[in-house]
Amino acid sequence: MNFASLNAAAARAEIFLAVAACAILLLGVYGDQARRAARCYGLSLVALVIAALLNGLDFSAANGSAFNHMFIADPMAKLLKIAICVLSAAAFVYGRQYNRHRGIFESEYYVLGLFAVTGMLVMASANHLLTLYLGLELMSLCLYAMIAYYRDDRLATEAAMKYFVLGALASSMLLYGMSLLYGFTGSLQLSVISSVLTADAATAAQPQAAIALAVVFIVVALAFKLGVAPFHMWVPDVYHGAPTSTTAFLSAAPKIAAFAITMRLIVGGLNALPDIWQQMLILLALLSVAIGNIIAIAQRNLKRMLAYSTVAHMGFFLFGIASGNAPGYSAALFYVLIYALMGLGAFGVILMLARPEYEADQLADLKGLSKRNPWLAFLLLLLMLSMAGLPPTVGFFAKLAVIHALVQSGLLWVAVLAVLLAVIGAFYYLRVIKLVYFDQPPSADPATAAQTTTTITEGDIAVSPAAILLLSCNVLAIIALLPWIHYLIAICNEVIRRFAV
Amino acid sequence: MTFLQFAFYFFASVLVFAAAMVVTIRNPVKSALFLVLAFFSAACVWITLQAEFLAIVLVLVYVGAVMVLFLFVVMMLDINIAELRAGFTRYLPVGGVVAVLLVVEIVFVLARTFSPQQFANPPSHAADYSNTRELGELLYTTYVYPFEIAAFILLVAIIAAIALTMRARAPRKRIDPVRQVQTRREDRLRIVKMKSASRTAHRDQQDDAS
Amino acid sequence: MTNLYLAIPLLCLSTALLTGLFGKRIGPRGAHCINIAGVAIALLLSLLVYADVRGGHSFNGAIYTWAVSGGVPLRIGFMIDQLSAMMMVVVTFVSLMVHIYTIGYLANDPGYQRFFCYIAMFTFAMLMLVMANNFLQLFFAWELVGLVSYLLIGFWYERESAIFANLKAFLMNRVGDFGFLLGIAAILYLFGSLDYAVVFAGAAISDVQNAVTGFGEWQWTTIICLLLFVGAMGKSAQIPLHGWLPDSMEGPTPISALIHAATMVTAGIFMVARMSPLFELSETALSVVLIVGASTAILMALVGLVQYDIKRVVAYSTLSQLGYMTAALGASAYQVAIFHLGTHAFFKALLFLAAGSVIISMHHEQDMRKMGGLRAIMPITYLTAAVGSFALAGIPPFSGFFSKDAVIEAVRHSRLWGAGYAYAMLLLGVFVTAFYSFRLLFMTFHGSSRAPEATRRRMHESPGVVVWPMVALAVPSLVVGVLFFEPMLNGSLFGDAIHIAPRHDVVAQWAVAYQGQSGVWLILAMVWHSLLSAPFWLAVAGIVFAWYCYCKNTALPSKLAAASGPIYPLLQNQYGFDWFYQNVFANPSVRLAGLLSARIDVGLVDGVLVNGVARLVGRCSAVVRTMQTGLTYHYAFAMIIGLFGLVTWIAWL
Repeated sequence: MNFASLNAAAARAEIFLAVAACAILLLGVYGDQARRAARCYGLSLVALVIAALLNGLDFSAANGSAFNHMFIADPMAKLLKIAICVLSAAAFVYGRQYNRHRGIFESEYYVLGLFAVTGMLVMASANHLLTLYLGLELMSLCLYAMIAYYRDDRLATEAAMKYFVLGALASSMLLYGMSLLYGFTGSLQLSVISSVLTADAATAAQPQAAIALAVVFIVVALAFKLGVAPFHMWVPDVYHGAPTSTTAFLSAAPKIAAFAITMRLIVGGLNALPDIWQQMLILLALLSVAIGNIIAIAQRNLKRMLAYSTVAHMGFFLFGIASGNAPGYSAALFYVLIYALMGLGAFGVILMLARPEYEADQLADLKGLSKRNPWLAFLLLLLMLSMAGLPPTVGFFAKLAVIHALVQSGLLWVAVLAVLLAVIGAFYYLRVIKLVYFDQPPSADPATAAQTTTTITEGDIAVSPAAILLLSCNVLAIIALLPWIHYLIAICNEVIRRFAV
Repeated sequence: MTFLQFAFYFFASVLVFAAAMVVTIRNPVKSALFLVLAFFSAACVWITLQAEFLAIVLVLVYVGAVMVLFLFVVMMLDINIAELRAGFTRYLPVGGVVAVLLVVEIVFVLARTFSPQQFANPPSHAADYSNTRELGELLYTTYVYPFEIAAFILLVAIIAAIALTMRARAPRKRIDPVRQVQTRREDRLRIVKMKSASRTAHRDQQDDAS
Repeated sequence: MTNLYLAIPLLCLSTALLTGLFGKRIGPRGAHCINIAGVAIALLLSLLVYADVRGGHSFNGAIYTWAVSGGVPLRIGFMIDQLSAMMMVVVTFVSLMVHIYTIGYLANDPGYQRFFCYIAMFTFAMLMLVMANNFLQLFFAWELVGLVSYLLIGFWYERESAIFANLKAFLMNRVGDFGFLLGIAAILYLFGSLDYAVVFAGAAISDVQNAVTGFGEWQWTTIICLLLFVGAMGKSAQIPLHGWLPDSMEGPTPISALIHAATMVTAGIFMVARMSPLFELSETALSVVLIVGASTAILMALVGLVQYDIKRVVAYSTLSQLGYMTAALGASAYQVAIFHLGTHAFFKALLFLAAGSVIISMHHEQDMRKMGGLRAIMPITYLTAAVGSFALAGIPPFSGFFSKDAVIEAVRHSRLWGAGYAYAMLLLGVFVTAFYSFRLLFMTFHGSSRAPEATRRRMHESPGVVVWPMVALAVPSLVVGVLFFEPMLNGSLFGDAIHIAPRHDVVAQWAVAYQGQSGVWLILAMVWHSLLSAPFWLAVAGIVFAWYCYCKNTALPSKLAAASGPIYPLLQNQYGFDWFYQNVFANPSVRLAGLLSARIDVGLVDGVLVNGVARLVGRCSAVVRTMQTGLTYHYAFAMIIGLFGLVTWIAWL
């Protein structure tokens, strides 16, 4: 074996990002506190953009693999990686001011973020149970730390602890499932596992119930990572407790990475056993759409509400995978990308509204926002409409694609239930719009009230126009992408068609 | 039963017993010591599987370094474990029932369909076979990618641990020379225009100033 | 050329949007400058297109594919041939006159810019309607026309009567539109396409099978044509869907009245002419069209006799003339119908503007009993009104004479079932028409003034912007008939834009009488021939009788009314159509709606379904929420339970 046979160039984005993270870690040691944080922040953005470009350069190249088939480069991996890098960079930009106000604007925060993104990229390209698991752990470990980074906040510490403990539990289940799978198939490589299982299915030689056990453990672990009911309990606490900048980060790219490992494991590895996981995924998806949408109604905290909405959205995207056909996978891919865009935008709006000593995360804080800040109010309106899945937003088309796939695969009753539950969900999204546009603002603007109690100069408080501009682009994409919606769906279809098993 | 089988079942039983004691015993120091026993037993099990290098590393790293460190921490912090375990007995019946049911189910399913006879024994190696060398070769060639990722995970663990614990408190009473040098006159001196009370008073002030 | 076609409606649309959205910013002056410039350019371009089309360049094609649904492409496209090109000229010309006239008529109205926005939008809709090459676009434009007319009638929305009138117009048109939509649906069902060309071609070659309905077997083309004609009845105000037109005079008189009477109502006529390849296949449908048209012509003319509101007289005369056009359509004389439509647009516009001019002068008094003797004060208005009245009565050589005579001759030659009835009704209509149009002229302009002293002192001729459009319309009212009679007669006016089955071609049969004559000689022969025929003498008799009643023996009309028994009240009440609709449809509907609203909507839907479900979900939410305790080991336990459940389910099933 020589070095060239590793074909390491295929993984250049991951390698670049890991090296860049190490370099930034070193650069973050020199200079005074504020300046090195700013330097690391800027360099992280540059690194993420370069990583995205490295993936985008040979987007349509033929499928390739590296590191003895542990790493796979197919269009889906590249598309997801580009999305992960771009959305993470945007999350950094949105959270910058927030982090500064809370003393977590430090170089290590961004280094951890870069390593988390590296982990996600590894997940997106994983073709081997080992790399898949390690990528997942790399990402998770960074996320635990990023959540706990706001150390002065009790909620954040608690959230990180919960996430860590439960995450460890889920990881152990994943490992157990993987070990069983290894026991049955004799390989850790997903493509080999798939072919062995397919051959077994053809000869009916496999121990059906035992393999089902492995599938259950794997699905449960995935469900935890996706935040799907009944393994969703950590989601609201973590979303609520984490500093909003981290929540924004958490709400976008890791969902895409979770989609990636779901596709790799379920569709790439276990494609011979659809009758085992299909029922399970439908049950989980239905449960999460129901629980997410219903509990979200009772929330008074915006971040918690969005957390439950995430649970519901993840359930919805799982419908796409559960439909078990190519249109369904394509719809799920489209859905998760659109959701990441919307979720990031929603937390971005909260970040823009937050001030020192003021989190802006209560629903009551939104009252009369249209009079205080009409532009952000409008962005929030678009986001809520899109999340509720009302036309003419892309959120509608994402839901439509999933429902369409469900109907196509003959799961009409699931489609009907999904639509009904989505209608229940529309309630709390529309309530936000009502608060923003129709309620009277509280007598004293909490944002300005918070400013007067602290002795921070105006220049520190102002959110940078670049961040607002980026957020506006992010949110307006919900409407502006409409003319190209068929093109986007076509890309998703093509990506799924060339999905490497 | 061959000796090898006997050794395996013996060490496996010790391992399970030790692991159970780790989570049930009240004294944290004893609990840590049982963990040491569990590691030893695991190392012995690995030796029966011809994984000598791993067994040695497990003893060296975990028993020799990690657990010693862990014992120091446990003794220094003086954790009141009884408080942490309050409610343990209350949840034991429910948790126990579920755990037992789960185990029964798993065993039932696996026992029904999954037996060692299904799989051929791996080929045994010659006496001069080097476990260490084989492992090293695999790690640095076939598995170099996961190996590197694992390395990054460890790096992240270090960064996270340091970043979360070693953080300078935000408001420190420290002079920042950069800002000190950058001070402008307007920051220090404020000129207030006031109406003069009377002509004479004004002259007095002027006299004072000069 | 395609860009040119596109530019014509888009000009109007863009000025409408500009005025509508930035009305405040551009001000009244800006509003009328922009809009008049826009529609004037549109007129010039339309003339260019007309000239081009006369040169033989017709066009039929899609401009833009809007969507593809179920394999049916939904397109925006244009069909430019002699028919649509002529309609474009008429629409833009009348619209331009309206624009100019509005400057004077609505000066100082707070809704000035809004009105310009509406009429520009209206012009856009009409242009899209006549230029359409498929049924979908036709329907969209059709609905847009209806919407704008609703807005125009209710322009003075503070007025109770205006609100009532616009609602009535909207509802009545809805009935027609429903039929129209059903017709389009039937076409899509049968031919699988909405393109005119495809449908016409399909209708011509395929022997479309019969449809079995609850009333026996019907030819599909008959069903389609009747449904389409229901739409035309709504838009072109044929009995029994005519009631909205007189009420629409509530709009800012007489401009919106003119919009309706001279332009919008022609949409139905145009549509039937456009659909001639379909209508030709169904004699039943043609008979229905013929009878409905003839009935409308006579019945509405009779109602016009007893009206005193100057606008309403003109409105009823419009209804009656529309009946003439429809009768011509029914007799397969499509070109005659469009010809009459064109001449009528000019002289009816003229009459409306004249009536408006009178109303301005009378300080918004519309009752003819309070007028009289205006001839001396308003000479130009008088002269132009007289031109309009002569044209309406059908006296040669005014344009109305040629077109109306052509209609009557066409119906006379028709061999369809009901043609005899139609011919008789139309002949009678000539007398009545002449009578009421001159009744209007004599009551308003002749005799001595019956206006109050205060009004009389302030009466004067209208300003230039009001007078000049009238003069501009008086000229075509005089000459259009002469100019277009010959091409109409020999069929070169529309070429192959309309399709007539040889056995229905009444115009050709009529033209046999003038074989070999052309130019001035043809006109003279036509005039000479008509002097010896009934319609001309009936018209003259009507005029003389009107003169006798309203200039000579002014007591006679009231004596006649008293002697007529139940007929006069019947006419005054317009045959009770309004009463019938109000009491049979409107009131019970409102009552039923009230009942449903209170019981079903508020009680069941809102109370139980909507609020009930919302409360149920809220309660569920509160209950499920308590599961989220915040304790880590609860969460872990939940995960284990979930795992346990899934293992049990999967492993044991």
